[in-house]
Amino acid sequence: MVIVRAFIGFFSLLIFTRIMGKQQIGQLNLFDYMLGITIGSMAAALTTDLSSRAWPHWVGLLTWCILGYLMHVIGTKWQYASKLLEGEPSIVIINGKIMENVLRKMNYEISAILELLRNQGVFDPTQVDFAIIESNGQLSVLLKPEHQPLTPKDMKMPVSYSGISTELIHDGILIEENLTKLNKDKTWLLTELEKQGIKDISEVFLATLNPAGSLYVDKYKDQLKKDK
Amino acid sequence: MRKFIVIALPIVTLVLFVLVMQSGDILKQPLVGDDNVPQAIETVIQDINHENWEAATQNTENLKRAWDKVVNRVQFSGERNVIDALTVNIARLQGAVQAQDKATGLTELSEAYEHWKNLGD
Repeated sequence: MVIVRAFIGFFSLLIFTRIMGKQQIGQLNLFDYMLGITIGSMAAALTTDLSSRAWPHWVGLLTWCILGYLMHVIGTKWQYASKLLEGEPSIVIINGKIMENVLRKMNYEISAILELLRNQGVFDPTQVDFAIIESNGQLSVLLKPEHQPLTPKDMKMPVSYSGISTELIHDGILIEENLTKLNKDKTWLLTELEKQGIKDISEVFLATLNPAGSLYVDKYKDQLKKDK
Repeated sequence: MRKFIVIALPIVTLVLFVLVMQSGDILKQPLVGDDNVPQAIETVIQDINHENWEAATQNTENLKRAWDKVVNRVQFSGERNVIDALTVNIARLQGAVQAQDKATGLTELSEAYEHWKNLGD
């Protein structure tokens, strides 16, 4: 009985959370976090609480998921509702100066802000142009221009476009669909693998091709050269 | 085709789950002939009322067999407490019939019938 109810709870939760979408994970504010815990505990009760029927737990699970989804939809369509339901970001540092009144309103200790800055690799608040506490509690930091990392553009260095690599082989299995999308064929791939001493696709754990034409290959048998 | 499967599969899965969870009321009804629990209860009540203890013993066994078949079907949609309570009622009934205790026998049968009615609700 527990196995069947676990099956029902597991796949119901999987389907509901997939429908609720990725924003549930990406923009996790306090209420979303508590929503997740509540939904999880309902799924657990559905599985193991044999003293009650599965149906009321499942209906509760569905209702909470629908309400959570509706809240996000309303927040997306109506900005004012989004501010009310999810809160809004607050600027806590401007030009190196800490906004104490904002911290007081948000019940944040200065030590917490300094810790969040250190997590971002910033050990000196004077280097910060803007620091914003997002509605999910994360701190976003914009450093002053003189403290920002150097980019190739700053150095006027030309760079070639790298783009996103496409998987051609995964776990020893050829992904033919990707090969076709890149206008390549199996013969080409085998030729390239042979250049690297690979005789068969099954020897490869991962192979990717980037837009520049560079083929990355990782074999199951990695041979790391020892430093002398 | 793939899009159809991606949409249809979750819907079919959820509908199947709902049917399993709500199937108690239907699956507790007699399906194969010798799994008619309410009729078996009624038969034993008649036997006890007429103090026909040999027939009551046999029909109590029939009731137990019928209930064992129904339990296998309703265990996913019914409350464990109700299932266990009805099982205990039948066990006590066996004792009451053996002791030829009319009052206890009828009490247990009455309670068992209530539990059966609540099954799947």
